[in-house]
Amino acid sequence: MEKILEMKNIVKTYGRVVANDNVSIDLKKGEILAIVGENGAGKSTLMKILYGLEKADSGEIFLHGQPVKITSPSVAMGLHIGMVQQHFMLFGPMTVTENIVYNNEITKYAFFDKKKNEEKVAELSEKYGLKVDPTAIVDNCPVGTQQRIEILKTLYQNADIIIFDEPSAVLTPNEVDDLLDTMKTLAAAGKSLIIITHKLNEVMYVADRVVVLRAGKLIDIVDKKDTSIEQLSYMMIGRQVANLEIVEHDSDKTLLKVENLTLGSELGKKILDDVNLYVNAGEIVGIAGVSGNGQTELIRCISGLERNYQGKITVNDHDVSNFDVASIRKAGLSHIPEDRYLWGSAREASISDNVLMGEEDSERFSKNGILKQKEIDKYADELIESYAIKVDNNKQRIRELSGGNAQKVICAREVERDCPFTIACEPTRGIDIGAMEFVHERLVAKRDKFGGILLVTSELSEIMKLCDRIYVIYNGSINYEFKNEDIDDHKLGVLMLGGKVDENKAVN
Amino acid sequence: MIFNFEYISAIISSTLRMVSPILLCSLAAALCSKAGVFNIAMEGCMMISAFFAIVVNFYSGGNIMLSVLAAIASSMAVSAILAFFIIKLKASPVVVGMSINTASSAVTTFFMYIFFKTKGLFQHPDLVGLTKITPFFADAFPDLAQMFFGLTFIDYLSWVLVVVIYIFLYKTVLGYRIRAIGINQEAAKSLGTPVETYQFVTMTMSGILCGLAGVLLSMGSVTLFIQNIASGKGYIAMTANNLGKSHPVGVFFASLFFGISQAVGSFLQQTQLKGQITASIPYVATILASIFESIRYRRLREKKIKESMKLGN
Repeated sequence: MEKILEMKNIVKTYGRVVANDNVSIDLKKGEILAIVGENGAGKSTLMKILYGLEKADSGEIFLHGQPVKITSPSVAMGLHIGMVQQHFMLFGPMTVTENIVYNNEITKYAFFDKKKNEEKVAELSEKYGLKVDPTAIVDNCPVGTQQRIEILKTLYQNADIIIFDEPSAVLTPNEVDDLLDTMKTLAAAGKSLIIITHKLNEVMYVADRVVVLRAGKLIDIVDKKDTSIEQLSYMMIGRQVANLEIVEHDSDKTLLKVENLTLGSELGKKILDDVNLYVNAGEIVGIAGVSGNGQTELIRCISGLERNYQGKITVNDHDVSNFDVASIRKAGLSHIPEDRYLWGSAREASISDNVLMGEEDSERFSKNGILKQKEIDKYADELIESYAIKVDNNKQRIRELSGGNAQKVICAREVERDCPFTIACEPTRGIDIGAMEFVHERLVAKRDKFGGILLVTSELSEIMKLCDRIYVIYNGSINYEFKNEDIDDHKLGVLMLGGKVDENKAVN
Repeated sequence: MIFNFEYISAIISSTLRMVSPILLCSLAAALCSKAGVFNIAMEGCMMISAFFAIVVNFYSGGNIMLSVLAAIASSMAVSAILAFFIIKLKASPVVVGMSINTASSAVTTFFMYIFFKTKGLFQHPDLVGLTKITPFFADAFPDLAQMFFGLTFIDYLSWVLVVVIYIFLYKTVLGYRIRAIGINQEAAKSLGTPVETYQFVTMTMSGILCGLAGVLLSMGSVTLFIQNIASGKGYIAMTANNLGKSHPVGVFFASLFFGISQAVGSFLQQTQLKGQITASIPYVATILASIFESIRYRRLREKKIKESMKLGN
């Protein structure tokens, strides 16, 4: 096959960190090239350079054998290179059509020709089998559709090379299947695709060749048919991953009980509909679901951030229904929030200050309104040591830390807090495997000390690995409850999309 | 007897004149916020343009066309400076906007002394005000026409601009691109739109609107320049933009409300009410409207949430 793209000897450094160390790859017409590696291996950086979002320190890019300088996304688009970003770049309140044709509209005089633009989008959607409603408002579209809109955007701009950045991270297992099939269709239609991912089963399903990066270096480029998941994961990590030993526990003490929880929304729709669940001491309970099915709101209700609900919530034997956050924390709840910067920490404040947050009134850290700074710093140092947080000192600001280390600070504060029950939301989102294992160990350690944990995460593997029980949430209701022994990921996938499981446990 | 026909028609006529500057400025604010830029400097732009309208008026021997152009040009220049700080240098829009508002008051007072050797107020028989347009139905309905006497072409233009700006924002390609930038700058950038250029041009163009508003202040119902001539109208316009949700039609009705409260305020000065109280009416109305709007919004939200919990879906 004809080589259409070559990146040669790409070097990119951020300060002292070498993100890409002399990396060379090539892409053939009509192939799907997977780029795999751990978080921080340099996959995204390499693709950002190709799409003109970052500038390489040195190295060259050849398109159809001609050297090109890609200085911005518009240059990349002009060269028929498109990118489907991990975080969608959409205009939520606008229609699907308006999102796709942006910057390249069909006009009638100076006016936006609604009809013609919609026809064009419908035609494109038909041609590549990417089903969308051209007149729908993007905010009302499910995530899978939003991703299709992103793909259509690149096709509308006549992209021949399409880069997918972690495209399956936001999708359900079944949506992932659709996506992978779409990718194959596109490749068959002559498009060349690059997919960044760390999910190796997808790679084995869809890719023709695989580029493995580790710590910024190119480890190897292999043909899919000559490799295996085991070999790829060994190349990615450079060692074998240890499996956690899970000890069985039994306890009757209920730490969290949610009864008949119902929450409405401004749009006149029930976000949570009669949710019942419990967490016992010595249990890790998972909430599995496609994001946007009420998980965020469930956590907001339990932690007291949303108080306009109906139903009863009991934490550690205290009825905390419609209580404020501080009282619920006092009753015995800690919370690792979904977004570590938005909710979890103050980016401009020091590690010491962040460790103190929520505890500033306790006798240990203050007296008559005056902070005991020595005591606080001592505690911060203890946590830094026991959580192996890589920092210079406890006065460093959160924003100076890597995502993994910032997450460790938040985990340390919330998990080590003297309280029996912890909510962990996406505790390992966007952090590397080392830090991930560490956070998992700490959660399990808390459980082993008869704490209770409610784990809400979009990483199915995390749920499968840690949880004693799993609730499946769909459209604001608990759809099913799995006990540890009968967890099955295919069934889980069907349930997450609203499917039903009958008495004989057959999947409909 | 206060509530006779003449009195009411006078209030309406006064309202119509009060509305225009607020409407023009809130349309300027609406354009900027649709493009994703926060503009609070309408007050300053109005003052500067009102001042330069008078300066050129005086030195050109009362040439109205030149005065209006000078006002627009000066207001655009101030808006461009504002845009440069906010968009290119990423300065805080509140800090820069406030500085421009305060500086405009000082600069006009200072130059008033330089040009006219006077402090506080400048009035001169050579100054020519905007031509008042006699309504075409003046002969047929003299009573009705009375309400429209005293309006200038800029007042009528401001109503036309509501429609023009609505069509521009919601029907043209350029307007659609600007709205998209306001919704998600990053997305617009990722599609190769020069976002900063669009924002810069939008903000500078919004200066035209503030410039017209300025002309109305110094050459509309009265022809003079007085220290702090905008007297908070720019801030009221900011609130009108907020209440009108940055939609041209919404902004029109919000401005109308504030125009009425200003007119009522100035008319009550002729009664026994204390001057301080009547003068504060437009501002109190602004605060009350903001509070009312936020309460209404919260109620609506809570009501919808409660209803949705009762329903079956």
